[in-house]
Parts: sequence; structure tokens; C-alpha cells
Amino acid sequence: MNPAELTLYPFERPASLAELCRTLSARAGRNEKSILLAGGTDWIVGRRLASPDDPEDLPLVLDVSRLAELRGITVSKEVATVGAAATFLEIRGHPVLSRRASVLTSMAREVGAVQIQARGTLGGNLSGASPAADGAAALMALDADVVLASIHGERRVPLTRFFTGYRTTRRAADEVIVRVEFSLPRTGAHQAWRKVGTRAAQAISKVAFAAVAEVERGRGVRCGFGMASVAPVTVSLPTVRALGLSQSLGSVSDEELDAATRRDIAPIDDLRSTAVYRTHVASALVKGFFRDLRLAARA
Amino acid sequence: MRLTFVVNGRSRTLDAPPLARLLDILRGPLGLTGTKEGCGEGECGSCTVLLDGIPVNACLVVAGQCDGRTVQTVEGLGRKDGLSFLQEAFVKEGGAQCGICTPGILMAAHALLAANPQPGEGEIRESIAGNICRCTGYQRIVESIRNAAKEQAEHEPG
Repeated sequence: MNPAELTLYPFERPASLAELCRTLSARAGRNEKSILLAGGTDWIVGRRLASPDDPEDLPLVLDVSRLAELRGITVSKEVATVGAAATFLEIRGHPVLSRRASVLTSMAREVGAVQIQARGTLGGNLSGASPAADGAAALMALDADVVLASIHGERRVPLTRFFTGYRTTRRAADEVIVRVEFSLPRTGAHQAWRKVGTRAAQAISKVAFAAVAEVERGRGVRCGFGMASVAPVTVSLPTVRALGLSQSLGSVSDEELDAATRRDIAPIDDLRSTAVYRTHVASALVKGFFRDLRLAARA
Repeated sequence: MRLTFVVNGRSRTLDAPPLARLLDILRGPLGLTGTKEGCGEGECGSCTVLLDGIPVNACLVVAGQCDGRTVQTVEGLGRKDGLSFLQEAFVKEGGAQCGICTPGILMAAHALLAANPQPGEGEIRESIAGNICRCTGYQRIVESIRNAAKEQAEHEPG
């Protein structure tokens, strides 16, 4: 559609989370569609490619970008809380996250160039549920929970259970993502972020890989992964995780890691890459991370 | 909706559809055509302006999100007596060729130098990673920004 058609959409800026939830609830009850707008890096771009909405039945666009309840980043008692409307630029610059959750801040540096970092948010990244979402992969490696709010209160969904299929989630029509929460990896935990794509900035990945591991006496005691662009949803590599937690790292073989990785992904050929290449890269990234863990355990 | 915001240091109030793109507001009613539209989908950076001092793609920002905020465009870069050090450096170094990407790159670089007056080459390249230029091969742009940082340090030390 032509960008000029954007001007036809009704728009509101709720003053509070409570007001937003009331509006969402009333509209969902009447089966009316609402769009939650933060940075616009998905929805506005998507309008250009989409066929025009029915002008008689346009969704209401609700600006959530300045809602205090969705903003800010806090760390308390080893738990990090990132508001759904905190931008990637804010995440990237957060001193505690940079030290303790580098998988997240490294992701935020590469999710797009600075103009996209300044607008994009984790709430948008998660609710869009793209299989290529960098933010989802990094948060999965951190075993994050998604906190949703509605007029009925809050509920918490582990990110590993949040995506229900290609671009679908457990968020109901009357709910909004308010924040994500995760336990900080302990100081010195191994964290990796690798985005394999055409270029470093402004490229959607062919494969993105996030990993967090805490190792004690040669064994993994915390182990989390996220991988994007290798299945209809971002995956947490559960078989690879089980391998990392079940035995001493020194005894995990490359053959086992290859088999586990292949079991956890379902890549396809598309405009950005091929299933064969993605499988190769996914295996290489997983093996590389475990190699680094073993080297560190020996040192 | 009634939109009031500060553009290049001057308070502006106008009626605009809340989902009109900032890009169209700047180029249309405000007549600030220095900001260019390239791809219109947040990829090329030609429409980069500063929103509260931070580079954004004006094609992805809507009017309803600008109320009460501050916008700077390329028209707001020059000093009273002429071009800014950054603009002068682009002229001297050949940092601009066809010119379509130039306003956006100037704004991205201006934000970099405001936050980091003496950036390294990696920081310069990262700051303009969201701005695509098809003419220069980027080298002269990087040199322009580096020289602007030097000039600025000499003329406005500390």
C-alpha cells in the first residue's frame, strides 16, 4: 500500500497501562483489531508490502512507545527486567547488562544499524514472532520469561513456550507484553552471540545463534540457547541443551552435537539462504561454542 | 491531531494525521526538503534525522509519536556564519557525490561527533552502517567525518 494510506488509520496514545488494557479488552470483546505501535520498524515497513486494509474496518493503532510501565531497564536481586518498549539502543548501552548479559547487548548492537536500534524494541521483536528475530534468540538463551498484562492482571509465559507457530504467539488480543525478565548469568559465565548474514548492519540473518553457559568442574550447570532463521519459530535447541547439562563437557562429541543440532532445527530454502547451508552453519556454531567451553574448562 | 514539536530549534505547531510519516511532514508542510526519501522502509538511511538527538529513519516515525519532542534535520546543521565543520569536510574531501544519501549521513555523523568527538575508524563506520551510498565507496565519507572531528577539536577544544 501507499504510505499516504497510513494517514487513514485511527490512532490513540493511552496515558497508562491500565487505560491501554481497558481499550484492548473492549475492542477484543467487539472483535475489533488493535495494533500496538512502538518503534514501527516492523509494522510500518510491513504496511508498504501489505495490501491495503479495508478502509471501513481499519485497526486502531495504539502508541505504546511512551508508556512508563513498558519502559526502563532494572536489575534487582540478580534478576534483570527489560521493559517491552525499551529500545535496542537503551539495552546496548546498559552498563549492568553489558557486563552480565553480553549476549543481549551484543545482539542489540547488531540487530540493525543505529537508526533501527533507536526505534526497535523487545516487545515488538517478540510479538512479531518472526523466525529471524534476533531479540527472541538472545532472550531464549537467557531463559527469559515474557510478562503479559490485561485487565485481568499479569501472567508470565516462559519464552520457550511463547511462540506457537510461524508468526503466532500466546499473547491474546486483549494483552500487551509489558516486560521480559531473566536471571542474570553469573559473572564470568560464557556467552556468545553470532549473527551470520550478508553484512553486519541492516541484514536479516541466515542463522543467528545465542548461547549462555555456566560451567562448574567441567560440567554445565546452566545452559541456554536460542537460534533464529532455522525453523518456523526461534528455537531453544532443547536436545543440545540436554547434552550440555547431562554429562561432562569433555565427553560431549562433535558427532553428538551434530545429531542434536539437526534434531532441533528445521531449516528451509528461502531468499536469504538454503537449508543445507543453514544446517552446516548451525552445527558449526554449536560445536564452536562447546569447543570454547571445553578449552575454558581445561585452562 | 494538533502536533507541537521543536524543529531545528524552532517550535512548530500544525495539524497532521497522527500516522503521517515524519518524513512527509518535514518535506511537505514544513518545506524542509533536505531530508530525502530513499527506500521508504528503514533500510537506506537517506531520511535520517535526529529525534531528541538520536538518529532515526523519518520514514518509520509517525507524527503522533513526535508531539513534544525535538527534531533536527540537515537544515539545522549549519552555523550562523556558514556550514558546520562536518559539512565543510564533506565538501573538501569529496564526501558527497550525487548527494541523495548526504543529508542522512551528515545527521548520523553529527550524532556520532556530538556523543564521541574523537571517534576511531571502526566507530565512524559503525555510525553510518545504516546509511547506504552508491557513489563514493564510503572511503571519502569516512575521511570527511575523521577530518571534521579533527577540525572541530582544533576550533572547539575541550
